[in-house]
Order: sequence, then structure tokens, then C-alpha cells
Amino acid sequence: MKSLRALHVGLRLAATVLIGLLAMTASGVQAGDGLRIATAYKLMTLDPHYANLNENTSLLSQIYERLVFQDEELQLQPGLAVGWEAVSTTSWMFKLRADVRFHDGSPFTAEDVVYTVERIRDQLKSPSGGYRSYVSAIKSVSVVDPLAVVFKTDGSVPNLPLALSSVFIMKKPVQGFATTEALNGGMAPNGTGPYRFEGWASGEYLQLAANTDYWAGAPAWPDVTIRVIESPAARVAAITTGEVDVADALPARDVAALKKRGVKIASVGAARINFLQFEMESHTLPGVTDKAGAAIANPFRKLAVRQALALATDRGILVDKILAGYGTAAAQVFPNGLPGTSDKLLPIAPDVTTAKKLLAEAGYPDGFRVLLAGPAGRYPGDSESLQAITQNWARIGITVEPQAVPFSVFNTKRAAGEYGLWYGGASGEAVDIILDALLASPDKARGTGALNFGHYRNATFNAMLSKAESIEAGPVRDAALADATEFVMADLPIIPLYHFHHVTGYGPRIGAYLMHPRGWTTAMQAEPAQE
Amino acid sequence: MYWATIASGRLAQAALLLLAMSLIAFIGIHSIGNPVFNVVNIETATAEDIRQATTALGLDQPVWKQYFLFLSNIVRGEFGTSYIYHQPAVDLVLGKLPATLELAVFAMLVAAPVGVGLGLLAGRNEGSAFDRVVLRFCVLVASVPSFWLSMMLILGLAVLAGWLPSGGRGDSMLAFGQEWSVLTGDGLRHIILPALALALPNIALICRLARAGTIEVQGQEFTRFCRAKGLSARRILMRHTLPNISIPIVTIIALQFGGMLAFAVVVETIFAWPGVGKLLIDSIQLLDRPVVMATLTFVAVAFVTLNALVDLLYAILDPRVRLS
Repeated sequence: MKSLRALHVGLRLAATVLIGLLAMTASGVQAGDGLRIATAYKLMTLDPHYANLNENTSLLSQIYERLVFQDEELQLQPGLAVGWEAVSTTSWMFKLRADVRFHDGSPFTAEDVVYTVERIRDQLKSPSGGYRSYVSAIKSVSVVDPLAVVFKTDGSVPNLPLALSSVFIMKKPVQGFATTEALNGGMAPNGTGPYRFEGWASGEYLQLAANTDYWAGAPAWPDVTIRVIESPAARVAAITTGEVDVADALPARDVAALKKRGVKIASVGAARINFLQFEMESHTLPGVTDKAGAAIANPFRKLAVRQALALATDRGILVDKILAGYGTAAAQVFPNGLPGTSDKLLPIAPDVTTAKKLLAEAGYPDGFRVLLAGPAGRYPGDSESLQAITQNWARIGITVEPQAVPFSVFNTKRAAGEYGLWYGGASGEAVDIILDALLASPDKARGTGALNFGHYRNATFNAMLSKAESIEAGPVRDAALADATEFVMADLPIIPLYHFHHVTGYGPRIGAYLMHPRGWTTAMQAEPAQE
Repeated sequence: MYWATIASGRLAQAALLLLAMSLIAFIGIHSIGNPVFNVVNIETATAEDIRQATTALGLDQPVWKQYFLFLSNIVRGEFGTSYIYHQPAVDLVLGKLPATLELAVFAMLVAAPVGVGLGLLAGRNEGSAFDRVVLRFCVLVASVPSFWLSMMLILGLAVLAGWLPSGGRGDSMLAFGQEWSVLTGDGLRHIILPALALALPNIALICRLARAGTIEVQGQEFTRFCRAKGLSARRILMRHTLPNISIPIVTIIALQFGGMLAFAVVVETIFAWPGVGKLLIDSIQLLDRPVVMATLTFVAVAFVTLNALVDLLYAILDPRVRLS
């Protein structure tokens, strides 16, 4: 694995050299009709319900559609449903769009919605079970008329429309249900989306053609070729030579050179957060000792220590230097301004003097030693952040041993409780999803705390969060979520670091490229340039 | 009878090798980490999701049980289904095979004749200007890391000159039930750069071997005798020198060819060439055990086969091997 990292570092170096040299040369672009996209998302399956990973959903959203979708402000917009309302506390009525046809010509009806939910809930035995959580609260779904369905839920589920914004609608087959094997092996995916499936090879490419009968009008591009290029340097080369029109997930450090080459750049703060998290339950910690190497009690249980560490962390360096400006210093789980965020929470400014004072008051005037673990190469700036934090904290006397390991190793060790302090990432459809996973107490029945590897427990916060989640979607719910966030962030169960930006480059054939905070890459986001 | 004994010995050896390889790989992957964290979306999955996935993949069983289950499946010819792609692991490997095969064959078809030719000529004219140029070229190319070489090829021929595409396989054509790029003009244009990146270090390697061998053979009595007999320089080189230096060259060609099939990861990654090496490294990173095991088995079989072929070639090339 070490040689792999060396390889990545090497590739990056080489890319930097390449870009530098490229800046001096002219470009030659050949024009065609279709759109060519280079993406880091490797499409692994054509089954839209197999695994809930951006790798699949981003590309499949061109073929399949949802009842509702999240726009660039993360607000829900009508998709295959034209409207929805809660008819009682435990049932929702969805009115469906008329005159929508699947790619095989068959009409879209309420039967297809029922089939989709049942396929995910009852028939599909995908090991990841990724979509089951979105429909697990649905007790039954029934056809009211061909263009209306009613969902009955277990108890009140005010955010059902949000849950359904992840679920792709499939056509109900004449009999049985479509297996993952059938979808992967030759049976053409049949959706209602703006582009039809033409061909693919898993992890290599996806070929699409315009669905000229699309209900919102024919899409902009007659055909679309999406190439999976996982190496960032190779994506940079492809957009530089004009072999593709759009390349996503570009490294921030290459942006300046790409701009010089005439590549246009679009970016948006990601609806996700990278943070430091502590083990806060156990009284002793692996990897935490005093300066002499003797074991000490868990220092992270003291608020003053957490405050000192937060004050010692310089987010400005992370954002400006490591992410080259393509990041936003974080104070809460989503970038400020998105629904459910608080405008009162601002990134903590570094203050070494106060941090030192707090640390001394907490009983650590000489600091301590700590192992800081994190994944290498999983998030933009991850291993570099470990280095920067090591230097930051040295200024208040804390000796950090940064340890960046491959993501799968990191996950295994973190789940096994081998870390006391680590760098992590979280994302979700909405603020409450992240709060539930990251900061709510681990609770099997409620399904919360999946990412709460630090075992943080705060009954008041749990109650505030539950209360906010029982409110229907809208400003009241968002305000309650913001209140809960303000309350919990004062206790610093995590140290928010940054929201990195999704960075996409596009060539002269694209007039504008609309970024989405969820980080999707689709042909619909690329607007052709006016001739 | 003689050949049957050799063949059965070889097969037993190969089976033992595969068994040892599978055990090491299995334990190795198991100790890296738990694949379940790559199967579920770790940022959104609940504890219940993770538990279900663990059970569904059979990861809740003890390792030795998982290994015996794996072995018993192999006996039935099944490598299992990829955790990540949800396709049969063997299909995935076979799907990447044409890309790898055409790249490796193309690269070796360039590397072997050019390397041998340069080596023979340089060795015969030891110390000449030509020899010095060839030697320096070999040292340079052999010491350059392959990612840098690939990047420079992209920079020179794709970006600055704009003659060739920077990556991907280009158009392909269906033959023998698989997609092949070498059968289309566009595919050929795409294969040139990655094949060059693979071929150049091999040219250097083969050339140095051929040069050293030629210098050694040139000093021996039979070459002097050939010269005394009045044979033309070309005839001596092709009919007498070449066969005498070919054993190490054939060995290195076979080994390098095997390496290209399995471990051309760097070149495949930079040129976005979807081959077996890239599949292997991706699968190791995702801990996709069925695919790793299927790929490694394929690699081991390829090496065993290549070695057997080399031994056969020895017998053809060297009469002494036949006699013993």
C-alpha cells in the first residue's frame, strides 16, 4: 500500500509538471455533436437500487428519474410527481406527472411506483441494502388512480418526500421483477430520464442518446459519452487536450494552470463536512499518552481540551493552502446558507493564547501526545490536513503523530475502536441526516449514530433533534435543526474543519455548467455554447 | 511416457503453487481490512445495514470457514460474485482480458525485435559510436520511472504535437465475443502511446541482454571459426550468434510479458486503459476479494503457462536441453 501512495504522489507530481508545461502551448479541439464527459465516478452497476453510492447514482440519474429531486439549493422540486401532501400523520398522497413515457414507449403510472418500492423493500437482496433505509418506514403503498399513490407509514414520517428523492423509479415488468444480474447483463435499463441507455462497460464507459420524447422537452445533447477516468492526472490531461468537454473532481492545485489553458472552471461547496472526531466514552484511549509516554486518562472528555484543540486549529491554512481556495472553513455540518444551517455559527478563529490557557486549566499545561488517524486519498486534502493539524497543535504543546492509511484499513480500525482521534467525512441529503448519523447517540431502533464512532451522548441534543425531525419540511423545521446544531456544536463533539468544493472543468463547447452541492456529474448540467 | 511424467509433474507443481498463492492472498486481504465498509456507503449506512451486508457476504464466518468455502467453490469452477460490481468475478477478469492482451502483445511485438536487433548490432560494434548511443538510451529508459515516461509521452505526442489521443481505448470491434481495439483505426491510434510506454523499458532490458550476450559469443572460438570459414557478418549474427544468446532473452521476454499481463498498473492507470492490472489494484483497494482471487489465479496460470512455453522453447533452441 505504501508503494501505491508513492505512486499517487508521483502521479500528482507528474501532473503538476505536465500542467506547467501545458500552460505554454496552444490547444487544438476537435468538434463533434455529442457531449464527452470524463468522470471519476465509476459506474459499477446498472441496477439503480443496488448500492446507494454517488458512483452509481450520479450517472444513472440521466436514465432514471425520481418522484422528487433536490435542486442546487437542496430544495425539493417536482420530478415524476407533480405534487405531494400529507393527508394524515401517517399517510402521504403523491400526484404523478401525466404523459410520461419510459424509454421503451410504455406509459409511467402509479403501478410503477408501487413496483419500485416493493422491489427495494421486499425483492432485492442487495448486500449493501443501501436503498432499503429510504423505504423502510413505508408500511404500504397503494394505487389511488393511475396518476396518484398513497404511502402509509409507520408513525409520522415528515421527511418522506426527501427519502423518495433518492429512489429511482423503474418500469414494472409484465411479471416478476428485474434482477440485478439481468440489469447488468444485457437487459437495457428502462427509465424515464432525458437520456436513453446505449451501452456501457462497468468501470469504463457509459454511452447515452437523447430521449427525444422526454416530458420536459428533448435534452440538449444528441448523444453523450461518459468515460470513467479515475486518475485525476489523466482527467486533467483529457480536458486539457480537448478530448473531453467536461471533467469532474479536478484537483484544486491544477486549477490555475487549467485556467491559463482556457479551460473554464465551475465549483460549489460540497454538501458534506470533513472534521476531527474524538472517542468520548472510554476513560483510556489507544494512542494517547503524556509527553513521557505514560498512559493518561482520556483528555477529550473535558470540554476545555476540545475547545483548546478547536482554537489551535487554523482552518485558514487548510482552505487557502491545502485546498488552494477550493474549500470553505466549516462551523457546522453543511456550508452556511443551505437549509437547516445556522447563520450564527461561524468558523472558530485560531487563538493560540486562549487555547494554551484552556489546556492548562484542564490540567495539561505541558500538553500530551496523541495519534491522529485519517484516510489517505479519500477526500481532497485529507492526509495534508493531518500534517497541518500536527503543526497547528504543536504550538500549544500537543505532540501529534499523524497516521494516514488507506480508506478500507481506516474504516476497519475505526470500527474496531483502535483510534482515539481521527479525521473523518460525512455527507447526506440534508442536515438532519448527518446530525442523526454523526452526533445523535447510537441507537439501533432509531437507526441513529452510525458515524458516531466517538460514542458521543447528549440527551438534550437527541431530544432537540427528534423534535426538529418531527416537524414537516419547511422553515420551522430548518430553524429547529439550526437551533439543535448551535446547541451541539457548543459542546464540540467534533471539530469541524472544512467543506471542500466540487471542482469541474469544461471546454469551449460548453456555455455553462451548473454545479450541484451533492457532487453529481450529468449531461443535464452542461449547457451547450451558443454558436 | 517421458513427456507425460514431465507434464504431470508440472501440473502438480502448478496446483500447489495456486493453492499457496490463494492462501496467502486470502489471508492478506483479510488482514488489510473488512470489505463490508466498501460495500455499504460508510457515510450513510446504519449499523443494521452493515450487519446485514456482513451476513449477506458471508463475512460473519470465521476466516478458515470462508477459505474452505472459497476452495469448494473453486472446485465447482466458481470464483463468486464481485462485492462491488455484483457481476461474476471471472466475467470481470475475462472482460478486461482483451484490453490487456492486445496491449501486451502489441508492446512485446515492438519491444522484442527492436530490443534484440539493437542489442545484436551494438554488441557486434562494441565501443562504436552507435554502441555508445544505444547503451546510453538503454540506461536512460531503464532508469526512468514508468509514470514519468507515460506522462512525457502524453505531453509530447498527445498534448504538444496533438498526433495521438491521451488516453482511453477508442473505438473497438466485436470479435470472438469480446471488444478489441486493435481491429479499428481509432483503436490503433489509442494503443500506440500506452504500448510505447510499456515497450520502451523492455526494449532497454532486452537490448542490454542481447548486447552482453553478443559480446560474449563474439569472443568465442566458434565465431572466430565462422569468420575464418568466410561466412558473411550477417549470416554469423543471425544463424550463429542469435541462437546462442537466445535462452536468457526468451526467458526475460516471457517473464516481462507475464508482468505486462498482470502488473501494467501504472501505464493502464495513466492512459485510462481498462486492463487486468488496473482491475487488480482497484479490487485490492476496494478489498473485493472474489475479483482479487480470480485475477491472481489468472495471473498465476498465465505465469505457469508462460514458463512451460519457455521450457519448450529451450528444448527447441538448445539441443543440449533435449538430450538431457
